[in-house]
Amino acid sequence: MARPIVSVLLLALLMAAWEWATRHLGLSALVLPAPSRIAQSLMEGLFSGYLLPHLQATAINLTLGVALGCGFGFAVGVAMAESGWVRALFMPYVVISQVVPKLALMPLFILWFGFGMTSTVVITALVCFFPLLETTLTSLQRVAPERLELFRMLGATRGQTLWRLKLPSGLPGILAGLRVAVMLGLVGAVVGEFIGTSQGLGALVIASQGSMDTPLMFAVLALISVLGLVAYQLTLWLERWLLRPYAVEPSQCPDERYERSSP
Amino acid sequence: MSRTGIQAGSFLALEGVDFGFDGVHRTVDGVHLALARGEVQGITGRSGCGKSTLLKLAAGLLAPQAGRVTVGRRPPQSAREDIGFMFQQPTLLEWLTALDNVLLPVSLQGRPDETQRARALQLLEQVGLADLAHRRPGQLSGGQQSRVALARALVLQPSLLLLDEPFAALDALTRETLQQDLITLCTQQGRTVLFVTHDIAEAVFLADRVSVMDSGRIVDTITVTLPRPRDPALRGRPEFAALGARVREALQRNIAEPHRPHRGAAGHTTGVLT
Repeated sequence: MARPIVSVLLLALLMAAWEWATRHLGLSALVLPAPSRIAQSLMEGLFSGYLLPHLQATAINLTLGVALGCGFGFAVGVAMAESGWVRALFMPYVVISQVVPKLALMPLFILWFGFGMTSTVVITALVCFFPLLETTLTSLQRVAPERLELFRMLGATRGQTLWRLKLPSGLPGILAGLRVAVMLGLVGAVVGEFIGTSQGLGALVIASQGSMDTPLMFAVLALISVLGLVAYQLTLWLERWLLRPYAVEPSQCPDERYERSSP
Repeated sequence: MSRTGIQAGSFLALEGVDFGFDGVHRTVDGVHLALARGEVQGITGRSGCGKSTLLKLAAGLLAPQAGRVTVGRRPPQSAREDIGFMFQQPTLLEWLTALDNVLLPVSLQGRPDETQRARALQLLEQVGLADLAHRRPGQLSGGQQSRVALARALVLQPSLLLLDEPFAALDALTRETLQQDLITLCTQQGRTVLFVTHDIAEAVFLADRVSVMDSGRIVDTITVTLPRPRDPALRGRPEFAALGARVREALQRNIAEPHRPHRGAAGHTTGVLT
């Protein structure tokens, strides 16, 4: 309980120092606006309704992009894990595409899908695709051989082995990949909006740069951080909810008292 | 035992079975084995002698490269529901409760009905876990997990039970309790049991016959003359100690041979390294 308080105190201290520095060191508000100016800009933007459509646009871009990218990443990951020839066919491309900077493809997507939401969703999806593919593939391939042998022994079909053994075994790993994908997806969405659209927080960062409204830029950055935190928290909740059956409450850890003595 | 041929009426039969993983070394080399219904046979030998492979051949998890394996006159692959297998590790699924783990063999064939659920619960009760049926493996101790694995191996009421060093990871007392459970659940119900173990006392306590394996061959078989039903008091009897000494002596004699084939030595080396 004491630690969060200390963290909040540290934040307050940093804010106060920042406020003091901007007032007494003669820094231009164009370079580093005071926290009070940023807060003011943020409140004005929120209450005038100016920021909300942009926030909404980014949230939608992020949600759609993550859903599409993770959906495809998961499906291709499963296909590659299950089929040797699919793996052999796609693996070189997966490896190559890992080193291609995906965000550098944004101008191309604008050319293909036009200026607007589609390009941003596509780039977000592309950024999410690989982490999920990678974690799905490795998680499904890392199932303990004894368990596979057990399922063989029990005469399980391939579908049963996938659905009742490999996916549940790999779920914690896949969800860890989802967490990474969501965070990368936010980067993809914002950077996509920098050049791909006029709606969204990323577009607003560029717009505020153009109008030299640094307090607004900071306000938007704060909103992006909040959006990131919310997305991360939602992912954590989803993860915790899906992993409920895997959790062992500390109060119920293995206990030899229940060992039965010899009859 | 029967090197010459398979006795009539044997339930599990391995006839001249060969198997190798790489085509050069034979991990299992011309093994003959025959168990009548209700017989309990132990196999012992040092690491890498091929005993686990032999068990997997009997289970149909591996196909012999020469010879034949039959379970009740059928190949083991088509007698799956009649074979219970217990692995070295409990190999439970951590996201399922103990009860659902026991029911896994049933639920892979369809939704378990009430009789099957009742049987699973009864098995859990027989291994002393009635109160813990809704716990997950992470909440169970090693011994409890092994009991769940034993109940799972028995839930389809198989005629043949195959055990691969099932209690090796447990402490001595828990192991003895589980051996007693195994006797209650299997041998007294006329199940045929083939098990692999490193533990000489375990082999003698459970089995009607103990075979010693080396370099893929069965090199010696000791008949255990102890009466059934067997109880823990037996462990203190001189006959028990004498039989244990005979198995140990058979192990040492056959493994200390100077002219051991090279593949045996290679197998041993990998056994040590892993």
